[in-house]
Amino acid sequence: MLLSLILLPFIGSLLPLLAAHKGRTVCSWLTAAPPACALLLLLSTAPAVFQGELLTIRWDWIPALGLNIGFRLDGLAFLFALLILAIGLLVILYGHYYLSAKDSHGRFFSLLLLFMGAMMGVVTADNLLLMVVFWELTSLSSFLLIGFWGHRRDARRGARMALTVTGGGGLALLAGVMVIGHIVGSFELSDVLAAGDILREHHLYPVALVLVLLGVFTKSAQFPFHFWLPHAMSAPTPVSAYLHSATMVKAGVFLLARLYPALSGTELWFIMLSLVGLSTMTLGAVVALFKHDLKGLLAYSTISHLGLIVLLFGLDTQLAVVAALFHTVNHATFKASLFMSAGIVDHETGSRDIRLLSGLRHYMPITAALGLIAAAAMAGVPLMNGFLSTEMFLGEAIEQRVLGGWSWLIPAVAVFAKVFSVAYALRFIHSVFFGPKPGPLPKQPHEPPFFMRAPIVILVVLCLAVGMLPALIVGPLLSVAAASTTQTILPQYTLEIWHGFNLPLALSVLAMVLGVFLYSQRHRLFNLWNRLPPLSAPDVFEFILHSILVQGSRRITKLLESGHPQNYLLILFLFTIALAGAALLQLPSLHGGVSMTAIDFPSLAIAMTMIVAALGTAILHRNRLTALLFLSVVGLGVALVFARFSAPDLVLTQLSVEVVSIILLMLILFLLPRQNQRDSSVQRLWRDAVVAGVGGLSLGILTFAILTRPLDSISKFFLAESVSGGGGTNVVNVVLVDFRGFDTFGEITVLAIAAIGIFGLLDGMRLFNPRHLGHHYAKDRHPMLLSVLNMPLLPLALMVSLYIFMRGHNLPGGGFIAGLITAIALILQYLTNGLNWTNERLNDNFHPLVASGVMIAGLTAMGSWFFGMPLLTTAHTHVHLPVLGEIPLATAMVFDLGVYLTVVGATLVILENLGKLKPFTSQPTTEP
Amino acid sequence: MELLYATVVAILAGSGLYLILRARSFPVVMGLLMFSYAVNLFLVAMGRLHTGKPAIIAEGAQYTDPLPQALVLTAIVIGFAMISFITVLALRARSELGNDHVDARSDEDQQP
Amino acid sequence: MLEIVVPLSLVIYALSALLTILRMALGPDIPDRILTLDALYVNAIALIILFGVYLGSTAFFEAALLIAMMGFVGTTAVCKYLLRGNIIE
Repeated sequence: MLLSLILLPFIGSLLPLLAAHKGRTVCSWLTAAPPACALLLLLSTAPAVFQGELLTIRWDWIPALGLNIGFRLDGLAFLFALLILAIGLLVILYGHYYLSAKDSHGRFFSLLLLFMGAMMGVVTADNLLLMVVFWELTSLSSFLLIGFWGHRRDARRGARMALTVTGGGGLALLAGVMVIGHIVGSFELSDVLAAGDILREHHLYPVALVLVLLGVFTKSAQFPFHFWLPHAMSAPTPVSAYLHSATMVKAGVFLLARLYPALSGTELWFIMLSLVGLSTMTLGAVVALFKHDLKGLLAYSTISHLGLIVLLFGLDTQLAVVAALFHTVNHATFKASLFMSAGIVDHETGSRDIRLLSGLRHYMPITAALGLIAAAAMAGVPLMNGFLSTEMFLGEAIEQRVLGGWSWLIPAVAVFAKVFSVAYALRFIHSVFFGPKPGPLPKQPHEPPFFMRAPIVILVVLCLAVGMLPALIVGPLLSVAAASTTQTILPQYTLEIWHGFNLPLALSVLAMVLGVFLYSQRHRLFNLWNRLPPLSAPDVFEFILHSILVQGSRRITKLLESGHPQNYLLILFLFTIALAGAALLQLPSLHGGVSMTAIDFPSLAIAMTMIVAALGTAILHRNRLTALLFLSVVGLGVALVFARFSAPDLVLTQLSVEVVSIILLMLILFLLPRQNQRDSSVQRLWRDAVVAGVGGLSLGILTFAILTRPLDSISKFFLAESVSGGGGTNVVNVVLVDFRGFDTFGEITVLAIAAIGIFGLLDGMRLFNPRHLGHHYAKDRHPMLLSVLNMPLLPLALMVSLYIFMRGHNLPGGGFIAGLITAIALILQYLTNGLNWTNERLNDNFHPLVASGVMIAGLTAMGSWFFGMPLLTTAHTHVHLPVLGEIPLATAMVFDLGVYLTVVGATLVILENLGKLKPFTSQPTTEP
Repeated sequence: MELLYATVVAILAGSGLYLILRARSFPVVMGLLMFSYAVNLFLVAMGRLHTGKPAIIAEGAQYTDPLPQALVLTAIVIGFAMISFITVLALRARSELGNDHVDARSDEDQQP
Repeated sequence: MLEIVVPLSLVIYALSALLTILRMALGPDIPDRILTLDALYVNAIALIILFGVYLGSTAFFEAALLIAMMGFVGTTAVCKYLLRGNIIE
């Protein structure tokens, strides 16, 4: 049931899209159905929730990350869910009349329901990470809704700004949640809420708190992140009423309430919340008075009230929490109705400019009356809900001692802000609905349709009902919500319409009187205000965004991504060297203590040979063929090194691969210029030489450090199990085809993919022959001597290959090496006799070979499943054959056959296709 | 011997890195090959240096560590696949762009 | 006898490998260098066989066999390149 509560809006968001062509009425009804069902569901849980039960559901999603799908419904979640669903329904009704025929109904309602679902997710998520996911979803859907009129520049700018600010805050929140999860060891809300003491004492607590509060402040438009909210007013009014006053901006407030038991109670919490809340409340209230746009006025008023709520959370009492929640509900009701009234004025007159509007009560008396009541609630006039919560707030503000000796500042500033709030409420009502009849307006004003007004009526009735019978209407809801917020027993408090004459009441009355006076002096104030330098938040915002962020990142990108791969590699190498060097420098001593073995002359001579060859390759690289010859000497030397240090399998592999590589490079060399001119300056050569030298040196030092340290290897297992478990005495091969068979399977797959990739790259390639200047080629394509010599070599090589393959399991050899030998033997045919001759005798389509190789290996590996064994389990036995004698047979050999076929096929695909490539010698080339 | 081995690895790696930093594709490919030699030698060194003790099970024999060898064996083959892919990519770049400079620019404006 | 001859031969072949690489460095022409490469293959075969004899192990003899084969292929490829430019045609 809890799940359907969250899923209903999401599923519902598809309905308007599907029903968009059925007409507006059907579309609106279909939109309203899911939230209505969800609301009924929610109400049906009310008895349980009001008894203090905690409804939860939960599935594991990615338990390793601590990310689970879990939802909970307690008093706090119930309160917010009620706001979201109920006000959402009213907004849908209102939106049906508000939207013009030109606007896409389906898209609008779909986004609205998407937002509703996301918001339900935020308030009911039982896992902090899941909550962040929904949190981001609200930012995204808010972005889409603000930019709903995407053809308008202000809408696009406002949407972008809102997304940047709230999205950035969302990232901070994610980081904060990660820190909390790190401290608590769990992201589950129940664990986090129970771990408040651990959290507060942890040294990372300030980090977590600041990050979470960044998320809260951006979402709830707290100073200095408030500037996005007024510009979000370019959204359609139903969106402003729903997202930007009643629900989304309250997500920050919700988070404060949710994490109250875990994070509150420290000096930092109180100082941050009270100061930010206080400044936001004051700033919002003052600026609101000077806004000539109806929605702008309401936006700043919203900022001010959000500041008030945040401030309440920053006051060190539990009653303040009750007041905060109470005010959240009250604000949602009166502010939503005020926005809707403003929307009606806009809709029916075509203008929202307070300076143009006047005396509208003559045209729309009912709307005027409704607006009057709602504005009175906003100003905190007795008998309205706003009065009760502001009284509670003032009471708490007087009681608190958060700022020590400066604590009197809070009630003083609160009264100051309230004066302004009374003044702007008066302005909203008096300037718009009262006074003389207006001048010419874009439209002739008249009353809106009844049902467009209906949501306002409902909300205003609620304002009055709560204001007069608070204990009856919101008392139980508030107490259960507050109890689940603080997770403790609440102190005694009474919700009454009349608390008698006390200091808060006196302050309220004072604020009212001063507010009326302020309003009467408004024209002087406006003159003063106009002398202030104009500052447009979007301009400042976009200037910062562009000049600092965009230009800055462009500059960095340009610096790093210069279009020269040489520079990228240089940076990469330097960074790697720095990393490795830093680690190497921490070694206590380079020599690890294992005594070194003596140097013998042959090894020294071979080492010298390799060194000369390597340096020769590097120095003579512009003379490409010579460099290639030096390189093959290095390859040969490496094979000798492998032989010297007990690696027979590697010798065989290295030798075969070396030859294949040389053939490959030779093929390429034919298609590339044979020499290259000097490209780099001398300084650059030296710079590269130094970097390369340092890089080589670090690898050398690392090698030395490892070689002189004692060995602790896992190979004892392989050595012990090779014969009994793998059925072979050549441990290297057994490791390849048995113990680590899955790796090998991966590797032949890579080989196959590389071959296919090369085939694809070569497809349709057009190359112009680089002129090998001053070179005269021989006329004889296929020298006879070579062909004749080569004839007996093929069967010989194939026999060697078979021999190497068969013995591979027990003695050096195996599929890889045998495959390479076979491939080279076949390549030799191409070399000596040419493509046509060879392809007449050999099917030149090697792709099936590659495929069958991978498949054989894969099927052999999976074959063990048929015997109920894990993947790649091998069986082995010894077979006695008449002529050949005893032959060891293991299923691993079939696997090795797959390896063999893949290697043969892939090598031939690569080399044969490269050989087929014919450059266009006759055409003019682009080479110089 | 360990010092000599490390020296060879250092020189091979250094030459390889130097070649990789060159401006034309062919030296870069050679450098990659050279560097992969150095890395393979380095990896084999993980099993330390043993003379005449191949990991082939026999009576009373001593063995070197077979695991680095098995890893290097596949590394050699994969290295070949990678080198050939890079090479053909370089070839394709030349066919599309008309020269073999790694920056993929025309010959006239090569000097940065 | 063998105790002296085998190490001695190893030293000699190693020395010759060193001299060969010097020749390759000095050149002066491409065919000279190809010849030195081929000579190095022969040296390598000798070194591996002798090393096997010295250790009393047969584990490396296939390697020598393979060098003989691969060396031939390698040299053929380089020669073909020198002669025709395109080695597979």
